[in-house]
Parts: sequence; structure tokens; C-alpha cells
Amino acid sequence: MSAASLLLLPGYTFVWVILIAPLIAFLLSALVGRRTVEGGAPIAIGGISISLLLSLYLFIQVMLGGGLGGNFNPVFLDGYVWLPGFPAGSGFNNIVIELYIDDLSALMLVLVSFLCFLIFVYSIGYMHHEEGKPRYYAEVSLFSAGMLGTVSASNFLQLLVFWEIMGLCSYLLIGFWYHKPEAAKAAKKAFMVTRVGDVLFLVGVLIIWNQFGTLNFYGDATHLGIASQVGKLSPELLNLIPLLLFGGAVGKSAQFPLHAWLPDAMEGPTTVSALIHAATMVKAGVYLTARAFIFLVPMPYQGLAVTPPWTAILVIAGIGGFTTLFAATMAVVNFDIKRVLAFSTISQLAYMFLGLGVGAFVMATELSSGTAYANLDSAGYSAAIYHLYNHAFFKALLFLTAGSVIHAVGTNDMRQMGGLRKHMPITSITMLFGCLALAGIVPFSGFFSKGEILSVAFEAGTINSVYMVFWLLGTVTAFLTAFYAFRLWLMTFHGEYRGQGHPHESPRSMTFPLIILGAFTLVSGLSAYAMGGFGNFIFVTGTHAEYALPLIGVPLSDYGLEAISLGAALAGLALAWLVYETKRIPAERFTRSPTGAFLHKMLTHRYWIDDVYDAFGARVYVGFAKAMDWFDRRVVDGIVNAVGRGGLAAAAGSDYFDRHVVDGAVNLVSKEAIRSGMRLRQRQTGQVQSYAWVVVFGIVVLVALIFGIGLYLRLWGG
Amino acid sequence: MIPLEWELVLSALLFSIGLYGVLARKNAIMVLMSLEVVINAAILNFVAFSSYSNDASGQVFALLGIAVAAADAAIGLAIFLSIYQTHGTVDMDRVRFLRW
Repeated sequence: MSAASLLLLPGYTFVWVILIAPLIAFLLSALVGRRTVEGGAPIAIGGISISLLLSLYLFIQVMLGGGLGGNFNPVFLDGYVWLPGFPAGSGFNNIVIELYIDDLSALMLVLVSFLCFLIFVYSIGYMHHEEGKPRYYAEVSLFSAGMLGTVSASNFLQLLVFWEIMGLCSYLLIGFWYHKPEAAKAAKKAFMVTRVGDVLFLVGVLIIWNQFGTLNFYGDATHLGIASQVGKLSPELLNLIPLLLFGGAVGKSAQFPLHAWLPDAMEGPTTVSALIHAATMVKAGVYLTARAFIFLVPMPYQGLAVTPPWTAILVIAGIGGFTTLFAATMAVVNFDIKRVLAFSTISQLAYMFLGLGVGAFVMATELSSGTAYANLDSAGYSAAIYHLYNHAFFKALLFLTAGSVIHAVGTNDMRQMGGLRKHMPITSITMLFGCLALAGIVPFSGFFSKGEILSVAFEAGTINSVYMVFWLLGTVTAFLTAFYAFRLWLMTFHGEYRGQGHPHESPRSMTFPLIILGAFTLVSGLSAYAMGGFGNFIFVTGTHAEYALPLIGVPLSDYGLEAISLGAALAGLALAWLVYETKRIPAERFTRSPTGAFLHKMLTHRYWIDDVYDAFGARVYVGFAKAMDWFDRRVVDGIVNAVGRGGLAAAAGSDYFDRHVVDGAVNLVSKEAIRSGMRLRQRQTGQVQSYAWVVVFGIVVLVALIFGIGLYLRLWGG
Repeated sequence: MIPLEWELVLSALLFSIGLYGVLARKNAIMVLMSLEVVINAAILNFVAFSSYSNDASGQVFALLGIAVAAADAAIGLAIFLSIYQTHGTVDMDRVRFLRW
């Protein structure tokens, strides 16, 4: 028995604790957080620490059993039956709450809990002076529980439930300073815009349920799964389902056209932005799309290859490719340090979707040319997750350093910063690391994963030239990314201080996470080498192309591609240096020409998309509402009133009939009874002898009748 | 033996006399006495048919009728006494307070 297998304790039941610990922390912070130091921070950090330790333990077990040899099989952790009672044989199974642990979810669990842990620690310093800390720590704990649940769910419905928990928490946290109207508005916007995507997601889940009778991604001996049955879908549904799921991802991950909420979400505390952008929330969309690969690259069904959903793949890659450039251009002109990072998040997430899209395209092409399912080149998929993993670290770092800067100078506006390098050395250095990683300068992490994505996009482009456009978009974006990253850094830390007050370095609880994350901007990219290829993190052992190490043992053309993306990044960096450091090229030059001015105006107004949405809300929606109001008042109310009036008239008629006919008859009867009573009672004279006369008279009449009838019968009868 | 018809005629005469008294007399006592005559006419009928048909049950009814007549007279006299005490008269034309 190897040492590795000794670590594999029987059962993975402890994984439930990873989810439950932050949930308990949520309840405790909300209930008794006020009585602890820092308003519940120890509770939240304690909860997430338990999750972190157990996630690490799980990850090591999965790696020892999977990526590093052995044969780890994905594990179902049965929970309980949520909605039972579908009759046997109807094809619909119980809806259960259960966890599914495979390499991807193990990696995501570690990533999420690790970043949440660092952000919570950072919050001690950042939120020190704030009111409502128990609320803050309760909500972030619930948020992390939501993300941990999302990545460990075994089925789409459970994923949706945790996904919506995150949606709720994002609303609460973006609106943390709810007394500020902008924050309240931003929270509402985030909630409503993501809702558009969530409805699509829900529709997708319902179609899946309708088609398969199960919601599990994968099955095993005792569980029914979708993956192996995808082939029985009609081609239209096979395209529709991943598109609906991707619709949810577009909302959650703020891709075009549902990106509008994310820049406004900067109204929340910076730690919340870090939480939303780095590890949770927006990454859930990428995770969901990665899970949707069971549809994008369908398994053979009954021994036959299934035609992949080309339209869905093209849409995913297209939205990704377009949004990278679209968001990066908006980042270039913004002066709000957090908004720049927000646009960069949209852009980087779009890289991941691009990676997933082109990866799916390459896999699908291989699949339809007859490659066995197990031997597909999943380099794009792996590169997207690689970028997700790297981005989580450097974006968390960037947001936390931005938070540190905002904490020091008290403003978000980069025009009021500058020269902070001297006052905040740790923040300055760590943010430089983050910017290098974001820009994709070797050997920082962004370089490897971005290069991988672009080389897969190029490969897809050689198959279908439409995808070459996406590669081009990605490469231009690499240039812009480096430019705005260094514009941000130079404007903040170089030159002369342009604001008021005395900036100072942040407390240790804030710099400590920065240093760790700074180290990770190097480590996370290079970890692929330590693992023998990033694919080892997310796949069980096998001989796939994606196990190849970045820059090692790849074809010569890949070096060329890497050189192009690195060259673009360096050019961007150099341009930023020239414009913002040496000022050899004045920034005004770009806006002098009418075209430049128009471009600048368009970008600062975010392509007027927010205005269009607002106008849509103000004109179309309100107009529609007014029309409905008119319709309601005039037509519906008119009908209702007419019916009411008719009822009234009918009632009046009925009343008349009732009073005059029915009551008349009743009254007549009673009146006649009274009148005849009055007459009859006068016969009651009280004179006994007159009664006697009547009696005698009656007897006489009776006798006369009897005799008369007798006589009649005797004379004329039979 | 006296024929049945005679007895019935006698009874009918008695009944008619009594009935006339009941209807025509104004004194309540006289009306009561006339009523007794009517009852006795009926009793006479019972007795007549009893002897005619050799059946004793008619005589039993006759005795019962006499008892009823006695009770009747007793109650009637008591009522009239009471009326006389409260209204000072037993004139049938004036004893007319049981009216509408």
C-alpha cells in the first residue's frame, strides 16, 4: 500500500463541512457577531478557515488519487431527497441535494476558500471603522458558502440554488452602504441585470429536466447523469440548452450585453468587489460554462458520435472574443481605480469564455473528425480554467491593493493619487506584481494562461477563419490590458501626489494578504510546471495534449504566438510608460482629432449602453407601463365599471321586482288574511246561544243532506 | 210491552223541549236545566234500545250518562255561580264577554 493511499480515508463526508462551516459562521455572525471583537470577524474567519483546511485536505487527496497517479473516481456524496415521489418508471428521478467531487470542484473549493480567507483577514483592517460589521461578516460568510455550494453541487438545480444565494448576497453587499443612493441603485441594478441571465438559466434547467429526467452532470453506477445521454437530444435543443446555460453565465459573469451591472457594483466596499471579482460570483459563470461542456462536446451516444452544437460554441467564443476588447477599451479611459479593475474583470472573464469557446470548437472538430472521446485535445478548456485560477489570485490582489490605496487616500479617483510609492511601499510592490500578471508579462501568471488561450484560439482560427477574428481581438486586448494596467499603476504610485491628506501604509492585517497574493501571482502560473501541466489539476491522469507544459515541448509556432501576445503586452506597457511616466506623448494627443474625441466620448460613456438601457427603461418600459396604465384605466376599468353599472341596474330591477311583486304578493296575502280575520272574528259574539243555533243549524243541514241523498238514491239511483 | 217507537217519540219530544230551552231561555239556570233534559232524552234512547235488543250495555251507558249529567250540572252551576258573583247576572244575553 502506497503512502498516497494511506491518506485516503474512507468516505468524503467531511466535504459537507466545507459548505456548512461558513453557513454556521453566517448565522453566528448575524446573531452574536455584535458581542465579539471586530463585529463577527473571528467567527467568519474561523468558519472559512475550517473550509480552507478541509478543502486543502480534499484537494490533496484528489490530487494524490487523480492527477498525480492513481485513479481517483469522481465521488457522489448523497445528501437527502429534496423532492421525492416521482412514480417509478415515469423517467423522472428524485430531486436530491448531494455533492459531486471531481478534480474541477476540488480545485475550485480550494481556490474559493483560500481567497475568501485572505479577503476576510484583509477585511479586519479595511472594515475597522465601519458600522454594521456583523451584517458584513454574516453576508460575506453566506456569500462564500454560496460559492462553495455552487462549485460542489452535483446537479444543475442545486447549482442554481447556490447561484441565487450568491445573487442575493451580491445584492446585499453591493448595497452595504444602503444609505447612499448610488449604492442602493447599483445593488438593484446588479440584482436585476443578473436576473435576466438567471431566468435563461432556469429555463435551461427546466428543459434539461424535461429531456433527461435527471439534473446530474455526470452519472455513476447508482446515479443517472446527463453527460452520457446528451446524444438523444434533437440538434436544436442541443444548441439551445448550452446557450440558455451560457445566458445565465453571461448575466453572472457580466459579459456583453449584460455587463452593465458590474462597473456599478463598485459602490460596495472594496473587499466585496474583491470577493465578487476574484473567487466568487463572476467565476460561477465560467464554472457553469465549463460544466456545460457535457453539451458542447457531447459524449458518443449508443456508440455513435453526436454532432456538436456548432452555433452554441460560436456564440460562446464570439461573446467572449468581443467582450474582451469591448471591456478593455472602456477600462482605458476610466479614472476610477476600481472601475478600471471592474472593466478589466469583464475583459479577463471574456478571455475565459473565449478559451472555453475555442476549446470546445477544437474538441468538437476533433470529435467530428473521428477522434475518440477520451483522446480529445481539451487545451482550451484547461487554459480557461488555468486563467480562472490565475485571475482569481491577481484580481484579488489588485482589488485588495486598490482597497489599500483607497483606505489611505480616501478617494477612488486616480487623478487625486500619484506618488504613493514612497508612502505605501508594500502596496506599491504587490500591486506592481498584480499589474504584471494582469498584463501578461513573463513569468507572472497571466502570461501563461492568456498565452494558452490565445494559442488555442489561433489553432481554432486555422480550422475556421471566423475564429481567427477572435484571436485577433484577444491579441489587441492583450495590448490594451497592459496599457490600462500600467496606466493604473503609474497614475497611482508614480509622479507627484495630487491629493490632500497624508497617505500611510495600511495595517498588517491588510498587507499580510497582499504579500501572500503577491507571491501567488508568481506561484499560480508556475504551479503548472510543478504539476507537470495545469491539466493535471482538473483531469484525471491521461495522455492529453493539455498536459504539456507551457513553453516546453510545444511546436515552434506556439513560441511565435506567445511572442506575439507578449510583444503586444510589452508594447502596451511601453505606451503607458511614455504617456504617463515620461509624458513624452501627452494624453491629450489621442483626443485632439475629432475621431479621437468621439472615441473618447464613446468610451467614457461606456458605448452609451447604460444610457440605452436607461432609455429603454425610461422610454420603452415606462411608455409601455403608461400604455398599460391607460389600458388598465380606460379599457379594463371601463369594462369593470360597465359590469358594475350593469350589476347595479340589475340589482335595481331585482329590487323593484322584489319590493313590488314579491313583497306585494306576500303583503297581499297577509293583508287579506288580516281582513278576513277581522270579518270572521266578528262572528265570535260571545253569545253562547247563537253558537248553539249554529250547531243546530249545522246538524239540521247534515241530517237534511243525509236524508236528501238517501231519498235521491232510492228514487233515481241503482 | 211498550213499543219502541213510542219510547223513541218520547225521547225525541224530550230532546226537542230541551233544545228549545237551550236556545230560547235567557236565564242560564234554565239553559242548564234544559241541557239536562236533552241529556236525559239521550239516556232514554239508550235505555229504550237496551230493552229492545236485550243488551245490558245500553243500560251501562245510561248510568254513565247520568253520572256525566250530574258532573255537568255541578260544573255548570259552579261556573254560573262564579259569573253571578263577578258580573251580578246570569242573563245569557249579557253574559257575552268571550267575544272578539
